[in-house]
Amino acid sequence: MIVDWFDANLVSILNGFAIGSLLFILAVGLSIVFGMMDVLNLAHGALYLVGAYLGYQFAGDTSSWAGFLTALGTAALVGLLAGGVLSTMTEPLARRPHLDQALLTLGVALVVAELLAIFYGNDVLRVVAPPGLNGSTKVFGDTYPTYRLALIGIGALIAVAVYVVVERTTVGALVRASVADREMVSAVGVDNRRVKLAVLGVGSSLAALAGVLGGPINGAGPGLDERVLILALVVVVIGGLGSIKGAFVGALLIGQVESLGRALVPDLASFVLFGALALVLIVRPRGLFGAPKAAV
Amino acid sequence: MNPRVLPAHPMSRRQMLGLMGAGSVAMVGTAACGGGSVGGGNDDEPAGNTSGGGGGGPIKVGLVIPQAGIYTPLGIDMQNAWELWLEQNDGMLGGYTVETVIADEGEGPDTGVPAIQGVLQNDQVDVLVGIVNSATALGAADAVTEAQKVLIISNAGAAAITGEASSPYIWRSSFVNAQVVVPMAEYLAANDIGPVYVMSADYAAGQEVVAGFIAAFEAANGTIAGQVLTPFMTTSDFQPFLSGIQSSGAAATFVFYAGGEAVSFVQQYAQFGLKDSIPLYGSGFLTEGGVLNGQQDAAIGVRTSLHYSTEIDNENNAAFVEAYQGAYDALPTCYAVQTWDAANVLNRALAQAPDLSGDAISEALGGLGEIEDSPRGPWSFNGQTPEQNFYLREVVEGDGGLINSVVEDLGVYAQP
Repeated sequence: MIVDWFDANLVSILNGFAIGSLLFILAVGLSIVFGMMDVLNLAHGALYLVGAYLGYQFAGDTSSWAGFLTALGTAALVGLLAGGVLSTMTEPLARRPHLDQALLTLGVALVVAELLAIFYGNDVLRVVAPPGLNGSTKVFGDTYPTYRLALIGIGALIAVAVYVVVERTTVGALVRASVADREMVSAVGVDNRRVKLAVLGVGSSLAALAGVLGGPINGAGPGLDERVLILALVVVVIGGLGSIKGAFVGALLIGQVESLGRALVPDLASFVLFGALALVLIVRPRGLFGAPKAAV
Repeated sequence: MNPRVLPAHPMSRRQMLGLMGAGSVAMVGTAACGGGSVGGGNDDEPAGNTSGGGGGGPIKVGLVIPQAGIYTPLGIDMQNAWELWLEQNDGMLGGYTVETVIADEGEGPDTGVPAIQGVLQNDQVDVLVGIVNSATALGAADAVTEAQKVLIISNAGAAAITGEASSPYIWRSSFVNAQVVVPMAEYLAANDIGPVYVMSADYAAGQEVVAGFIAAFEAANGTIAGQVLTPFMTTSDFQPFLSGIQSSGAAATFVFYAGGEAVSFVQQYAQFGLKDSIPLYGSGFLTEGGVLNGQQDAAIGVRTSLHYSTEIDNENNAAFVEAYQGAYDALPTCYAVQTWDAANVLNRALAQAPDLSGDAISEALGGLGEIEDSPRGPWSFNGQTPEQNFYLREVVEGDGGLINSVVEDLGVYAQP
């Protein structure tokens, strides 16, 4: 009975992991930046969009590893730079309410999205998965796109890498220390702004990378930035601010909600996402793994 | 939400000359006749022949098309066809020298309705052409009727436009949403395709299409295996809905998607292996125009119904496709043909109408009879919207890319 159910929904469950992996790569940056550095970066979705268009630019026509890897490399670099710019822009607003940061970064996001639309047009453009991942694979008798299987692996790798860096290295300790007590960190001679710069750079870089990685699934087109930003915010709220574990679990959860949830109750497809969000907010307002003080 | 920025519209030398020509002719006309709108009463002038020049003076046409937002590609096709028609006909419609005022329809009624009001009030246009979005068309109906100007809708497909919300001044040269899929429903039922799963984006046009398809399919003794409406504009991963098709035991899938959703859907339908086991059918917009470039190989073999294909075998279509390709280096779409035909019927009606009043033009449009020289094949107005042939099309690899080949003529259909 349960075996039958799993058999019938295997593809949806698998797909939930793929979507969840992508969401994690997207949301972990937002979670760290907001949770740890206290910068509400609404330009996060626009960075994803930049990555998606870079994917189209280098891997839009034919399936090639060179094109796809170039897109990934460029996206990582562009993300780093954009993070630096965002960090500088938000610095004067550091002591002001989140709303000011939100307005500034939302403005940046709108300008970037509009520039991309002017440059690339309003059609939805495609990004082609590299050779070998471009086809479909049989998974227990069901056909499943190979690229999405690979995405599950990539998501797991990035999750491990981010976890190790933040929890097990000196740099990570510095970041965690900045979160816990900013004044104390500056008192021992570390420039807070540089920590913030680095965290925003890496977070933005991950968002742009997610854009390239999500290209073969979502393509690149106007409006995508707003859609992914909302998903990322939902993941962060569900997982809890500033928690990598939270972003991971939240992303996988939302991945399943978006995939398995929609498959089980297609008529409620528009509502399952926010239904899940509402449920978490009622039961555990600070998110699944959020620190109590983060619940603002 | 997005701020709207108009794309640059570099004016070609041809357009520039056309406008200058229009200006000078208008001045001559005014000087000679002491009034711009006297002529046009050339009743014995054969329709379609504008070389005689009825001495009608100038006519101002408002072309309201999307120049920003998701429908921009449609707007480009429509503008291309309009300009091509004028270029081939010396910038004249029914003996009048045309001055075209282009306004941006945007994505929805919030921008489209003011655009229509703008060209009516500020530019004082005599006739309106265009409109992609049905909500915009319905929202502007009162303003158009009050102004007593003729509007020829060259895309928007809501049934109500020429149904319950019809106006004597509003005509349509395109299609009705359900009209496009009824021929497909009857074809599939007649061929005993088996149970069909129906899917569409969840918005007004999608709902009309699904209701029209299911009603026609069941009336012809077809069985619906299941149906689902997917959230409009927010669905980029169709996998959750695709598993519903597999478990429903459907023998075929029928869908209505357009634009970006059409690209994602057709690609994912192939990636998840459904294309080989459950053939995909759709409303023609699934594979019309630019979306084919995004779908690529995944679209090959997909069958759709529509009132146009570049591959329709008639002389007018061959000439039209050649001229369009020559001018714009792209294949024409149904959106181009619909606007081309809007110019065509206006040309005929203006040649017969005694003056430029909305009532006179409307009456002339009503008396046109068959439009025999359209690229889509002959059609005629029935209830102010085309009664026309529909074609079963299949996506195949052509010489210069993917095309919609014509498999079968599905016959003539009016607004359902």
